Amino acid sequence: MKFSKLSDLRRKLSEFWLVYKRDRAAVVGLAIFLAILAIAIFADYLAPYNPYQRVGLPYQRPSLKHPLGTNDIGQDIFSEVIYGTRASLFIGFLAAISGTLIGTLVGLVSGYYVGKVDEVLMRITDIWLSIPTLLFAIFLVAVIIRAGGAPMFYSVILAIALTSWPPVARLVRSATLSIKERPYIESAIALGSSATRIMFKHIIPNVAPIILVEVVVRTAIAMLTEASLSFLGLGDPTVKSWGTILHFAMIKNALILGLWWWFLPPGIMIAITVMSVTMIGRGLELYFNPRLRKY
Amino acid sequence: MKTFLIRRAFSSIVTFIAIITIVFILARMTGDPLAELENDPRISPATIAAIKAAFGLDKPLYQQYLNYLLNLLRGDFGYSLHYKEPVMNVIFHRLPYTLALLIPSITLSNYLAYVVGIELGWRRGSRVDSSFMSVSMFIRSTPYFWLAIVFLYVFSVVLGVTPLFGALSPGRKFAWTIDSLLDYLWHYALPFTVLTLRGFLAELIYVRNVTVDILGEDFVVTGLAKGLPEKYVKRRYVARNAMLPITTVLGMRYAFIVDGAILTETVFSYPGTGRLVYEAIFNRDFWLLQGAVVIMAASVIVVNLVIDILYAYLDPRVRYK
Repeated sequence: MKFSKLSDLRRKLSEFWLVYKRDRAAVVGLAIFLAILAIAIFADYLAPYNPYQRVGLPYQRPSLKHPLGTNDIGQDIFSEVIYGTRASLFIGFLAAISGTLIGTLVGLVSGYYVGKVDEVLMRITDIWLSIPTLLFAIFLVAVIIRAGGAPMFYSVILAIALTSWPPVARLVRSATLSIKERPYIESAIALGSSATRIMFKHIIPNVAPIILVEVVVRTAIAMLTEASLSFLGLGDPTVKSWGTILHFAMIKNALILGLWWWFLPPGIMIAITVMSVTMIGRGLELYFNPRLRKY
Repeated sequence: MKTFLIRRAFSSIVTFIAIITIVFILARMTGDPLAELENDPRISPATIAAIKAAFGLDKPLYQQYLNYLLNLLRGDFGYSLHYKEPVMNVIFHRLPYTLALLIPSITLSNYLAYVVGIELGWRRGSRVDSSFMSVSMFIRSTPYFWLAIVFLYVFSVVLGVTPLFGALSPGRKFAWTIDSLLDYLWHYALPFTVLTLRGFLAELIYVRNVTVDILGEDFVVTGLAKGLPEKYVKRRYVARNAMLPITTVLGMRYAFIVDGAILTETVFSYPGTGRLVYEAIFNRDFWLLQGAVVIMAASVIVVNLVIDILYAYLDPRVRYK
């Protein structure tokens, strides 16, 4: 899509909003998500303490000074949760973008070059799909850590990206298959355009809506996977994400001691965020796929 | 049907070999299989060399790969550094606990999702429908392990009606006596409920949407228009047609429940293969992790095979393609 003027973009956006706002859940999801995004961006101003510093006695109950108490080494849990927003969103989003990128490339190539290439790529996709995602991601993180190749922070992102691309590849492939048959592609071939040019100039813009929806949907899933990996102790222990907070809450026995202010808030934040992102994804899907709109 | 079976079984074997090859490449690509031992100052270089020779690690890579395949076929998954026992033994002690947890749980949650989902689709737009959908949306957005934590907190810590950890009371061994079985079921209740509930609610939306799609089909309108009882249309026209897409998706859950098992068993300290994955991470026991991954991937492949056969049984078009 190309916008010649700013007013063009504004018109497109207001058109989009006209359809999008009809889905009430999607609007609520967007509002919640923007609030969470604001927390992540303004964490420095919102958090009363530095979550990486000891600011009081350990294992304190919630009080005015520490709204969610303190953890086992005396860090303020409320500040941890606020800063956790930043890490969780960032990891989820980056992993989703990378995974979608891999999936798009595989799907594009596979759909464009039917035959042997397609067969091999789809075979690999099927095999990849048959391995349980989290199990595979765990193995990948363990392998990356053992190799000492990447810092722990990026190994989680890499592992999620490498396990989440197959569904995207399938979607993009089937879209490419149908777009490829359209007359303007035929003209482009007749004019002597190269395969890469056709794929990136003519096919990508047409699958862009699918890719956009996938990035949003994948972000929700990636955040859940990140939380699970970090909870199992595979995340970067020096970066506080919601999953890491829960990991330490579990190994420090917060559960058995009944310290609900430690393990409930991060989980609630995960659930709310994932839900809002899912709702946005559904709203976008309704916008791009009018056939779904009747319900 | 026979050619279908052979073709399908063959592709399962190919998938399995592909997966264990990926595992081999990843594990070997990332360095020395004896790294854990070499970093230990108590072991001399001579011992390391002897171990290398004994396990064929001094041979070329393709030969190592062949050995690896042969060993897997013989059920030799290497040696667990933490348990000081062959990996296979460790896994087989734990596998029954996981299977006894997962198979009933998935079966029940799939059944519930199917029955309730069709009912909700039939009553789309009603208050029951929208409230179920909201709860379902929320539960889908919670991580498995957190749901488990909340259940454990409410029932074991606050109410104190269920145990805090394990599959049996400390000091007990599993036996087929009423006493022991009751103890087992007492520990079984919470993990089973968490897995079943989350599975059921997460799949509900899918079943309901499939049903709504089918309700828009002409044959449903015709059925109702010619005066067939609603119950008949629902059971014969709608439920039957919903079976096919649902079998594929709910069937896939057998694969993804493995992920749920890892998290749930970790929270409940349940001694299954899922918890084993966590322990392997915690103790840096790479060979145990590798073994668990291969075993779990293999069981998923077997389940997928069974589901495809079931699918062919339900839909004759698949058989004759």
